[in-house]
Amino acid sequence: MKILLIEDDEAIISLLTKSLTAHRYVVDAVRDGEMGWVYGTTFEYDLIVMDIMLPKVDGITLCQRFRAEEYTIPIVLLTAQDSSTAKIQGLNAGADDYVIKPFDVEELIARIRALLRRCSATPSLLMSWGDLLLDPVTCEVTYNGQPLNLTTKEYELIELLLQDSRHVMSNDEILDRLWSSDEFPAEATVRSHIRRLRYKLQEAGAPHDFIGTLYGRGYYLKSFDQPIAPLPQPSLKTAPSLTTLDASRDSTQTLQYTAFLNETWLTTQPHCLAQVEILFQAVQALQANVLTEPLQQQAHHIAHKLVGTLGVFGLTQGEHLARRLEDLFSGAQLRQPEQVIALENLVSLLQQEIQSTLTLPRRSAVAQYSLAMLIIDADAGFTQALAETASQCGIKSAIAPTLEVAYQSLASSTPNVIVLRLSDPTQRRECLQTLADYLPKIPILTVANQDTLDQRLEVSRWGGTFLLEQSVTFEQIVTYAVGLVQPPSADAKVMFVDDDDLWLRSLPALLEPWRFKVTTLSDPQQFWNVLQSVSPDALVLDIKMPDIDGLELCQVLRSDPQWQQLPVLFVSALEDAKTQNKAFVVGADDYLCKPVMGDDLAGRILNRLRRIKSFTNRSS
Amino acid sequence: MEVKRVLIIDDEESIQTVVKFGIAMAAGWEVLTASSGPQGIDTAQSESIDVILLDVMMPEMDGIATFHALKTYPETEEIPVIFLTAKAQTAEKNHFNDLGVSGVITKPFNSLDLPGQISKILHWELQS
Repeated sequence: MKILLIEDDEAIISLLTKSLTAHRYVVDAVRDGEMGWVYGTTFEYDLIVMDIMLPKVDGITLCQRFRAEEYTIPIVLLTAQDSSTAKIQGLNAGADDYVIKPFDVEELIARIRALLRRCSATPSLLMSWGDLLLDPVTCEVTYNGQPLNLTTKEYELIELLLQDSRHVMSNDEILDRLWSSDEFPAEATVRSHIRRLRYKLQEAGAPHDFIGTLYGRGYYLKSFDQPIAPLPQPSLKTAPSLTTLDASRDSTQTLQYTAFLNETWLTTQPHCLAQVEILFQAVQALQANVLTEPLQQQAHHIAHKLVGTLGVFGLTQGEHLARRLEDLFSGAQLRQPEQVIALENLVSLLQQEIQSTLTLPRRSAVAQYSLAMLIIDADAGFTQALAETASQCGIKSAIAPTLEVAYQSLASSTPNVIVLRLSDPTQRRECLQTLADYLPKIPILTVANQDTLDQRLEVSRWGGTFLLEQSVTFEQIVTYAVGLVQPPSADAKVMFVDDDDLWLRSLPALLEPWRFKVTTLSDPQQFWNVLQSVSPDALVLDIKMPDIDGLELCQVLRSDPQWQQLPVLFVSALEDAKTQNKAFVVGADDYLCKPVMGDDLAGRILNRLRRIKSFTNRSS
Repeated sequence: MEVKRVLIIDDEESIQTVVKFGIAMAAGWEVLTASSGPQGIDTAQSESIDVILLDVMMPEMDGIATFHALKTYPETEEIPVIFLTAKAQTAEKNHFNDLGVSGVITKPFNSLDLPGQISKILHWELQS
């Protein structure tokens, strides 16, 4: 179990670190609120202990910040303020417990343990690990339905291991917890109990190493590929991804290694992106039917290298995409049209994955397969047909017939997009709500079979995209899903007309992250010629320009039916409602006031492009 | 356990860097790096190396050719070689074993685990 301690008092840091470490907790201590935020959001902890009076950001604010960002990790506040107002304030801010200084260390640790137990995946009732089930009420233990006949000590031993299943229990600890101090059992006693317990488990069909031994350290329950998550755990964000063995490794070592990987990634990322560019070249050559043997070989080689590199950096998703590309580029059937589409999609997804990875994901020692699309629906006919269509487009999908399976799948890997088609409205609502809460960044495509405003309202309230089943084909569902993942900006041509040369010159750099193809024009007289030769996907106009102003340019544009569809955005220093109104009258789609930030401008352009894209998708 | 000297031959600089750091951190071993087969052979001949981690797919001289070359020199023929590869098919692993390599480690790996994996393959005793 890992605890983040945010405290500026050195004496308390050393006392708590020592005591918590003695209880086998792993402690990271930071000395101000800002660092607390950085650590708490970067690494995974099971619990946070924080002081209220902290430099930079105080404990109450920090607590609120964690809760506002939907971190559900338990928080214990420490403070010298012994008044009920302070307590209420702390608990209102989202803290789970409150301890007043000076405190009894043992009491604090007991509270921590209680909180962790309350927040564990098995808060009460049944305890389980893989196929092992323990019912504390009836004291029955079963493995895969087979009852185990255990002695009292064996029962207590397995219960102890289950209580804290990510914890390596040392001999001493087991002796302390299961034997009273006047019994003086020998160390070998634990070993013989473990041996008998293993034997009984094995007889019931468990693997021989169900209880693992970490030499010199103790015993633990081996982890499984499939995490057992019976309920939608609010721990999607805080779920510890380290397995037992990793957790037993010196935590500072893992932290340092992760930090080093992150640092190295900074120089590796551009290199990987440059390699992806070559993959793009190969795809383009393939589309133009001019792909040469050496280029195909080079692309194959690059994809292979990316598999290894991305994997070592922990980018499972990217690794998987690269592996698929490696397969395709090695194939002889590369020239088939559906393969070409698949390749293009894959390379785009890969580029996006590499580009969007600024800090590396936390390492998980169990290699989990990643997926791009998660399909949630009970109807196997639908899910399989959709998965098949997706796979033809180079998209890997996972199918979840129930919400439970979906949550399990989400706990182990994150898809790029979710397709949800549950006919039961209650289930669908629950799913939309849970996903919006825990994974707000993953787009959800809801396929509904009833065209009612209620249904549409519900989907849009939770930020989903609505598709009416009767009106779409499987191919269209996949296309829409990919559209939600891929920003429509890739290679979109955006033309800017403005007499401010300085601003025009700053645009390519300002918009670089969005990969727009930017054309700038400072002389409005050249407008029509440039417009026709560039044929942009979006147009951004200034209003006040010499001779011809932007409003007139827009009017000219809209007077030609051929240019009715082109998104036009105005960016101007004029803030008055009258001018803005005029702009919309002459046919503007959006209006921004200078100064404009890069992401704001890009966001508005993207909005328009998305609308146009969905329109053309529909009409085609 | 004594400090081992590992040579990694991989054309990906980032892999070299990460492996070097991870092995040094987890076991305190010394890691030498080479970016190509010929460079790796040079290093293996001039330095005393306990194990070579060899990437299979490299431009020009690939891992298999490098492995064969290493076996032709008296200074290097005894050095155990472990292949690093992103391919995990059993058929390929068997093929590598037939070649006489000591073992195969599949990418992706966590560099912190490498000393353990290497020791297991070569039956070195690791301190707990």
